[in-house]
Amino acid sequence: MRSRFSWSPGLVLILVLLTGCATQTKALLSAPHAALQRQVELKNTPFIAQERYQCGPAALAMLLRAAGFAVDADALVPQVYLPQRQGSLQVEMLAAARRNGALSMTIPPRLDALLTELAAGNPVLVLQNLSLPIKPMWHYAVAIGYDLDRGDIILRSGLTERMVMPMSTFEHTWGRSGFWGMVTLPPGRLPATAVEAAAVDAVVAFEKSSPPAAARQTYAIAVRRWPDNLALELGLGNTAYAAGDRAAAAQEFQRASELHPDSGAAFNNLAVALLELGQLEDARAAAEKALALGGPWRKAALDTLASIEIAEKSRRP
Amino acid sequence: MIHPLKKLFVHTTITAFVFVGFTQSVQAAIVSTEQVVTAAAAEQNRAKVAATFERADVQAELQKMGVSTDEARARVAAMSDAEAASVANKIDSLPAGGDGIVGAIVFIFVLLLVTDILGLTKVFPFTRSMHR
Repeated sequence: MRSRFSWSPGLVLILVLLTGCATQTKALLSAPHAALQRQVELKNTPFIAQERYQCGPAALAMLLRAAGFAVDADALVPQVYLPQRQGSLQVEMLAAARRNGALSMTIPPRLDALLTELAAGNPVLVLQNLSLPIKPMWHYAVAIGYDLDRGDIILRSGLTERMVMPMSTFEHTWGRSGFWGMVTLPPGRLPATAVEAAAVDAVVAFEKSSPPAAARQTYAIAVRRWPDNLALELGLGNTAYAAGDRAAAAQEFQRASELHPDSGAAFNNLAVALLELGQLEDARAAAEKALALGGPWRKAALDTLASIEIAEKSRRP
Repeated sequence: MIHPLKKLFVHTTITAFVFVGFTQSVQAAIVSTEQVVTAAAAEQNRAKVAATFERADVQAELQKMGVSTDEARARVAAMSDAEAASVANKIDSLPAGGDGIVGAIVFIFVLLLVTDILGLTKVFPFTRSMHR
């Protein structure tokens, strides 16, 4: 017998939603990465219950404290909260973490990346839409663990210190933000899932708002992971230079100029460091090479060469 | 007749001025890491101008959203150029995590209740997903 059932728009919508199932969860639970531990819970992550609309500052404070930074959620409110929007923007979460001394970086937008960071000991701050796209309810929480056998994600969320959420529900709510998650790390450490291009952007942004010594530590570890990257090698030299260590800076610029013989910036910076070390002959050779390479750093090379000439004149009797 | 000491003084002063002016205009300087990341020179100048405007826009928008002038300036300063560009003129519409859900009408209330139970959403603290 045919039913007299009519398709109401609401039911159609529900059915449409149902067909979009939690594919990443299914894949992970049926064939998890061999390298992943079955269960992880970062129990030492502190819990800070949020005030109304202030899940952003509370979640960021938990994340920063777990990374070893003594910050207060109240102090973060003026740094990330937008009164008119009654919430906090993703970009400002990343920027505020840097203001407080941490390297901040988004993770690749995948569930396995999230679990990999947790297994590496890094809690992940996630943006979820707990509701549906038509009536969004944006919420920041801190993922602190998972259980592959039970299929759960463990979160510090809102007023709940230990929220256990089915991984599929988590995937639905997290997926609505485009799987946006961030980690914060102290100087000298990088996220487990960091990819080269994103890491360069994150570390350069970190350099801009940190003491040179802190950024130098992070560059050192990044150069070890991606030894062929020009920006990272120059960053290591530049932060050594900014920290007053001319000899180490010259060494890094030397290495950069050998690995990237077409980089005028590497030769110019090498010339500057050598000039300040009083090695005028080598400085001149490097500056002339920078000038010959021309390109965007021609003007910088000309200025460096002029400074070397002044130094040479003052040295002659 | 000019006094020889005065003459000497004038000469040294002029020499010093010229020298100081000269060294200032050609000071050797490090190329920053950020400059290296932004590739070509022409592109760089254009990007720099655009970034300056975008930063000013973002700061104005933050202030409009209730952030104090000083704090808005500090917040924009902590953003990279790319980050500032990604929020410029969009602060109204970007997701702002804060748990706010306003004016949910009855239909949506019921719909969200159902989707909570189906494990697609987690709006209500009292719902339990049937996946459990």
